[in-house]
Amino acid sequence: MWNKSAQNRPSSKADARLAAPLPSHSAMQSPAEPASSHAPAVPSSAAEPARPALGVAESAIDSHLKIAGEISGNSDLYIDGEVRGKVRMAGARVTVGAKGRIHADMEARELVIHGHVEGSLHAAESLHLGASSRVQGKVLAPRIRIDDGAFLRGTVEMIAAGVASKPVAAAPKMPAVIPDVVPVATEHEEIIP
Amino acid sequence: MRATAAAVAVQPLKPGPAASAAHASSFRASNGLQQFLDLLADVPRARVLDLGSVWQSTISFFVDKGYRISTEDVLRGWKEFITSEEERQRAIPSGADSGKLSPQLLMANFLQDALGYPEHNFHGILAWDLLDYFDADLVPPLMERLFQALHPGGALLALFHSRPAEHFRRYRIMDSQTVEVVAAPTIAVHAHVFQNREILDLFGKFRSSKTFVGRDQVREALFLR
Repeated sequence: MWNKSAQNRPSSKADARLAAPLPSHSAMQSPAEPASSHAPAVPSSAAEPARPALGVAESAIDSHLKIAGEISGNSDLYIDGEVRGKVRMAGARVTVGAKGRIHADMEARELVIHGHVEGSLHAAESLHLGASSRVQGKVLAPRIRIDDGAFLRGTVEMIAAGVASKPVAAAPKMPAVIPDVVPVATEHEEIIP
Repeated sequence: MRATAAAVAVQPLKPGPAASAAHASSFRASNGLQQFLDLLADVPRARVLDLGSVWQSTISFFVDKGYRISTEDVLRGWKEFITSEEERQRAIPSGADSGKLSPQLLMANFLQDALGYPEHNFHGILAWDLLDYFDADLVPPLMERLFQALHPGGALLALFHSRPAEHFRRYRIMDSQTVEVVAAPTIAVHAHVFQNREILDLFGKFRSSKTFVGRDQVREALFLR
């Protein structure tokens, strides 16, 4: 693989899968959500979405509330406050507003994050990280949308829709020696002594 | 303040050259990326660590290949760490011991939390031009952490500017040989131009390296552990 012929291969055409939008996210989007674009990352304060109007069956934890413990149920939930513990809303959509501060593992049908989350995120259908989101933890979902400006410190793993989280398999081992890596001197190559 | 300016000069997010060029992104044909991917091709469910900002296209690219992609925006994390350290120092009453830390100690403290991955966890690491934004004496502990996180036989791709970068850029993968260079609000200023010898010394524990020089004089360096 280190030979010149390999280097000079023409660029493969753009992967259409990358250019194509993810499957419809209309169900995930609130009217105030910023649109994803090719614009560079923007300061989070500029991208904070306004709080959407509550749905008919949506509960809310506003910015003045702090909750410690486990939250579970089936109605959609909007969190703009602080939650520590666990959030398990298997059949519902959970939205973390820009002021939301979550220190918990979260499990839901849909997750929409605009605030801060420390903990694993598991969405059975879809996950959306907004431009002002800041997530530290593992992310599992069959569909993931990430807006420019989002901050993610963690691992992304795609799962089949509707699948519950499962233990992570051990990392496959690399071969001790990569057989096709034969350092060949070229004008731009240097071998570390 | 030397302790912070030496490492990353934090820039206010105000209109300026970087902001005016905010939409001037470009595409870069990347031989380094292509060969980086070739090295991972035979590893099922390879683990890749991207040290730049998180992008939908990059995540989709690796996920579509069945890889597990981790991201950690080290520069942004470092900036936030430095900012919090500055706030801590400002909160100390005048006359009291400021507790000002050396850049080296700051880096050591930063690494207590950042890049805390298990040994040999990743088969590939995309460092982009991260190292250019740290003073040369702060890079070795960072490199050591990356070396530990890389699986034997794993690959690390880094970019080095041949002259101080005028604008702050981010990188996102468009396909196996194309990287979009995205102009972004400046969160750090270019700190050091690494000479070839310095680069080889920095990666001295790695097995071999290969460097590609682009027309823009940005060097792509691929290192094998």
